[in-house]
Amino acid sequence: MDAQLAQYLMNWLVLGSIYTLVALGFSLLFGVLDVIHFSHGDVSIVAPFVVLATVQALISTVLPADSIAALVLACAVAIVAVGLVGVLLDWLVIRRFRNAPAMMALVATVALGTVVRELIRTFYPQGSNPKPFPRLIESSVTFGDLPVPLFSLFVIGVSVLMVAVLFMVMGHTRLGVRIRAVAEDRNIARLMAIRPDRIFAVTFFIASAVGAIGGIFFASYAGVVRFDFGVQLGLIGFSAAVIGGLGSMQGAILGSLLIAGIDTLVQATMADGASYRLVFSFLLVILVLVLKPSGILGKPIMVKV
Amino acid sequence: MMHQPPVIPASSGRGPVADLSIVAAVELGGAVVLGVFLLADDPRIIVALLGLMGAGFALLQFRPAIEERIVAAFRAARRAAMILGAAVVLVYPFLMQGSSYALHLLIIAQLYSVLALALNFQLGSANIPNFATGASYGIGAYTSALLAINFGVSFWLTLPAAALVATFFGFALGFPSMRTRETYLALVTIAFAIVIHQLLNNFSWTGGPNGLVGVPAPVLFGHSFADPIELFGRRLPSQANFYYLSAALVALAIISARRLHDSRIGLAWNALRGDELAARCQGINVVWYKILAFAVDAFLAAFAGSVYASYVSYISPDNFTFLVSVTIMTMVIVGGMDNTLGVILGAFLLTMLPEKLRIFADYRLLFVSVIVILFLILRPQGLFPQRPRSYGGRE
Repeated sequence: MDAQLAQYLMNWLVLGSIYTLVALGFSLLFGVLDVIHFSHGDVSIVAPFVVLATVQALISTVLPADSIAALVLACAVAIVAVGLVGVLLDWLVIRRFRNAPAMMALVATVALGTVVRELIRTFYPQGSNPKPFPRLIESSVTFGDLPVPLFSLFVIGVSVLMVAVLFMVMGHTRLGVRIRAVAEDRNIARLMAIRPDRIFAVTFFIASAVGAIGGIFFASYAGVVRFDFGVQLGLIGFSAAVIGGLGSMQGAILGSLLIAGIDTLVQATMADGASYRLVFSFLLVILVLVLKPSGILGKPIMVKV
Repeated sequence: MMHQPPVIPASSGRGPVADLSIVAAVELGGAVVLGVFLLADDPRIIVALLGLMGAGFALLQFRPAIEERIVAAFRAARRAAMILGAAVVLVYPFLMQGSSYALHLLIIAQLYSVLALALNFQLGSANIPNFATGASYGIGAYTSALLAINFGVSFWLTLPAAALVATFFGFALGFPSMRTRETYLALVTIAFAIVIHQLLNNFSWTGGPNGLVGVPAPVLFGHSFADPIELFGRRLPSQANFYYLSAALVALAIISARRLHDSRIGLAWNALRGDELAARCQGINVVWYKILAFAVDAFLAAFAGSVYASYVSYISPDNFTFLVSVTIMTMVIVGGMDNTLGVILGAFLLTMLPEKLRIFADYRLLFVSVIVILFLILRPQGLFPQRPRSYGGRE
């Protein structure tokens, strides 16, 4: 196989995996809470900052410099911390819009995203500057005569694993049944002795923690992170979830692969593809929604009297 | 409406003198507060004024009777209220002590009022999400700037041309609304806004990320809008030209908003907001009214864009990002959906707060976002929610 082509395919899968991790959160939250959590991208991008801060704290106190343990530990801390941030934001703000019109929640979470971004910018040391972010794994392996970065395989592997775990949890555990019950009808779920508020908190934790993994991969893939990366990551994750069909996890994966696909394709084939990639990604979004108004795998909107 | 007989609601009934004095007190008081706020440099004064405004809104929140009384007074003395309001707007620049910064803020606030009123047709009247008002604003600004720079077309001709181009795009954007709705439609408009922004950023004929420089100022009867106004021996900075221009635009937007709101179109939009299916069953052409809402929004937004381009004489894609649309949306929701006065107030507040909160330096965006969230939680119906229609009958 052509080395160039293999490279593009790899990029496509890596990008698609990263988008999937973010899109899953949007889809899960919408499915369960009927709420668009527009700050999800910004919450996800908090993770790389937590990683950087934790690594610094660790190597300056207990661990030797450039130890891999510091990075691993920091990632774990960041994933849990961001999950908790999600729960906190829900508790502070988002739960107050449970019964409000959809647009109120949307505008409130957009403002919430600004708050998250500005908090990073003002309280992280020199928060307005881009921060270099390490590749999680530097080495690469060779298949035949193709060098494949281990990092790419790692990103794809972790994403597949996360997707599998999520499907497992949703489909085959008591927690999954509860989440689906609340998504179906929160009042009836309450009659079945399920506390919706607890389920909402758990859902926010899962969505934000999965998003955090996506955020860390995104920063690691780009090699740099800035406080406002969350805007684009959130928009793309949101778009992926919507064109796949909100509330459908398979849809989120499909949407992410589609958007990552057009992104890679444009960059590979057009002369100044890098500057037109967003144009084509979002034209695709419009096209899909015109053809399939409720997303590719979404349930068609039924109007009943 | 001017031609309607004055309504005398039951809650009034303290005579025209009381009504007139309430109207005068509210309008002049509002003007004075705004003026002091604009001219104040001392952070303590600004914070004190903000506290005063907060207290005022709290009063309205906990004593709805006061709000009812004021509304009743405005209804009873409608003509006087309009004349006094127009007079205040006309005299205002003379009271700004020649401060071009205060005038600049007023112009921007007025342009955003127009944008917010434009969006209000959709979001407020018909509850159609649209995150592309910023894009229509940009299309208007770029059309008028390109025509003026490349072909030397007069501002007064570029204004309708820009509106036509933007309306065309508005129609195009409205078409997906035949099939998609709610969140999905919101994403279509977001995607449209991003595509427009990215294209403006990438095309060479739009100047790319550097934008367009040197948009000429309008000329009216030989008077260039770049020159100061000299009137009655008083000299006003050149911004005053654009102040009056944008004030006229706001007036146009208010009149169209009132006329549309009171017409069958406004009723149809409200019916759509209430229940689309029920509206369809009543024989309302749902698709047409949805697309019409997009077109009206784009039309007015393009006017604001043209004025903005000729006012600052320099535009770049970053003036018209997706976040601009979100700001406009926030203005409508904070101000009060489908209430003209509320929407304008929302626009003024959200334009001036970030500017005047410069004392908070780095924290101001944080501060404004927190205020917006608090607002949505504490007063979800907006500053002034929609009032029931009155058709001029005596109660």
